[in-house]
Amino acid sequence: MTLKEEKGFFSSLGESLCSLRLTIALLIILAVASIFGTVIPQNASPEEYLRAYKISTYKILKILGFLDMYHAGWFLFLLALLSLNLVACSLKRFRISWRFFSHPQERLDEDQWKALPGSRKFSRKGLPAESLAPYREALSRVFSRPKVLEDFKAYSLFAEKGKFSRLGVYFIHLSVLVILAGALLGSFFGFRGNVNIVEGETADKVILRSESQAQPLEFSVRLDKFSISLYPSGAPKEFKSTLTILEGDRPVVTEPIRVNHPLTYKGISFYQASYGVASVQKAVLNIKDREARKELAVAAQIGTKTEIPGSASAFLLARFIPDYQGMGPALQMIFFEPNHPHENFWILQDHPELAEKQPGRYAFTIQEIEPKYYSGLQVTKDPGVWVVWIGCFLMMGGFYMTFLLSHRRVWLRLTEKGGETWVEIAGSSHRDRPGFEKELEKIEQELRERLPKERRNSAKSEDPP
Amino acid sequence: MISTKMLTTVTFLYLLCTVLYFNYLAFRSERLGKVAGGLSWITLVIHAAAILWRWVESYQLGIGHAPLSNMYESLVFFSWCIAFLYLLWEWKLQSRVLGAFAMPFAFLFIAYASLAPGVSDRIDPLIPALQSNWLHAHVITCFLSYSSFALSCAVSVMYLLKLRKKEKGQKEAGWMALFPSLDALDTLVYKTIVVGFPLLTIGIVTGAAWANYAWGSYWSWDPKETWSLITWFVYAIFLHARFAREWRGKRTAALSIIGFLAVIFTYFGVNYVLSGLHSYA
Repeated sequence: MTLKEEKGFFSSLGESLCSLRLTIALLIILAVASIFGTVIPQNASPEEYLRAYKISTYKILKILGFLDMYHAGWFLFLLALLSLNLVACSLKRFRISWRFFSHPQERLDEDQWKALPGSRKFSRKGLPAESLAPYREALSRVFSRPKVLEDFKAYSLFAEKGKFSRLGVYFIHLSVLVILAGALLGSFFGFRGNVNIVEGETADKVILRSESQAQPLEFSVRLDKFSISLYPSGAPKEFKSTLTILEGDRPVVTEPIRVNHPLTYKGISFYQASYGVASVQKAVLNIKDREARKELAVAAQIGTKTEIPGSASAFLLARFIPDYQGMGPALQMIFFEPNHPHENFWILQDHPELAEKQPGRYAFTIQEIEPKYYSGLQVTKDPGVWVVWIGCFLMMGGFYMTFLLSHRRVWLRLTEKGGETWVEIAGSSHRDRPGFEKELEKIEQELRERLPKERRNSAKSEDPP
Repeated sequence: MISTKMLTTVTFLYLLCTVLYFNYLAFRSERLGKVAGGLSWITLVIHAAAILWRWVESYQLGIGHAPLSNMYESLVFFSWCIAFLYLLWEWKLQSRVLGAFAMPFAFLFIAYASLAPGVSDRIDPLIPALQSNWLHAHVITCFLSYSSFALSCAVSVMYLLKLRKKEKGQKEAGWMALFPSLDALDTLVYKTIVVGFPLLTIGIVTGAAWANYAWGSYWSWDPKETWSLITWFVYAIFLHARFAREWRGKRTAALSIIGFLAVIFTYFGVNYVLSGLHSYA
């Protein structure tokens, strides 16, 4: 490749990078790709995928990164390309916008006077030098302080408002980059994990969601108590975990967390995410004596042999499981009767009718289980989150500048014509022209009223002779 | 409940407003236009009163939360926002021409709330995830933006209808005689998006801030979040195409309609077709 061709290649590459066509193409590709990401479940287990897809489809989707699409290399590449395109386009345009700051057009040439729509003309008594001061003052009052340029026997006045709205779009573009930078910061220096803690127990590490490996914490956290409160309808009202942060063995903070009310300590936040029953503190069983036809309630703990009052029989609750084959909480029971081999069966809390099938003299049902809960906490460290919020505020500021402000400029020319002042007004606004027309009307009105009229019939269609 | 009965009445009133606005176009009668406009304001006030009354009723039930918490309540609020924004434009533009195209949206959404089988009008207590002050800021900004996009879509439809007549070289049908010029419609398509886009952005940002409190992550590529971003992309394309590539007319009108379809999918599609964290509305 010759040097010339190479230069051609790079300059055309540069040109495509700062083309808006690329921006629109990238936005369309990202939008379409994102649709796929909402249709294909993300980060599910292989079993779930195999239930939905053929194995070959699953393999292809996996290779193409569609199963964790938003973190796949190609998706991140597209985001990076969009950022690069954003920077390139902004830099290219910024040079033009900056001219409004570095070289404001303070004077219009003759062609521009003719080209600007809605310019207004009228004449007034007195020489331009005499009318200058009142007009300058009037323009400052109704619009903004003008800059005065003196020409030969004539004056040009230039006033502008809202020129910063020209920069709004750069604030918006910058804000997108800031938000992405914040996200990047979070993904490099932060983590997201989960930990289940049983009441009374302590954890000093969390399982990371992405790599399923443990992330040690610099401190430990103890779950003092977990509680649920329900609405009368049975719907959950509040999940509350009381957490204590321990530095070594020393408790430093004790605070309840609820959904929407996390606890943050040393940049690490703990969120109430889930809960479950880990084991049983105490169970109250209802024991029906089939022979004596009477019932009694007996409290028991897991792993302790309990005698049934008034009999030689005893039972032992071996273990608790929160869900027995989809039928809800269950206790495993070992039942001892003299001169019999012991029996082993399950008691289901939600299905008391199954107690009739239990062997022997007694039918056991669960009256009450005093559960020992575990609380599932989401543990997050995200040092980038503040950067993201700053980006969001920047974006709002950018929208305000871009959509609500407009750069309005007014030029005034005072020339001498037969001992009178010939006044010409022109204006331009880069947004909301109808609104600006009204403003220009008001400015003209103000200036007309400022000085005495020479002739009654001076109209804006009038031309200098 | 009284509020539900009021809302049923409001539904029929919106239908009546729609019919009146259409007749206004068909008969070009200024008087019909005034009646349609007046009735719309009255309907809007009753609608607002019904929403406030539902709020009171939720306190009477001992539940006590703003009526913005489920599909029914959000549809009712969406419909109110559309009527409200439309009437603001009517007042600003001093023209009732858009009414026949904007009011059907207000009617359809509130009618869907009352009639769709899956949408319950019961007042339920708030589940823990929804117990947050972010709820109000998030829902209000989102629905105001959706409403502005609905208006933009309505104006785009008017634009395309008028353009088709013009391209075919046909004389304008009588009912189109009152339509503003193509340029004016095109500007309005743009202006309504300029209102909606920052509101959508605030809606997404407040949603992200809330998610950060509730779920410990401001962005988790949940289908609802992703679809709101897709919608944002579509309107971003619209603005760039118009600002920098000078797209006008047919193409931007089409983009505005695509954008509103994305809004509808974000709102309904995600709940009915896809599943995710955001299963309330």
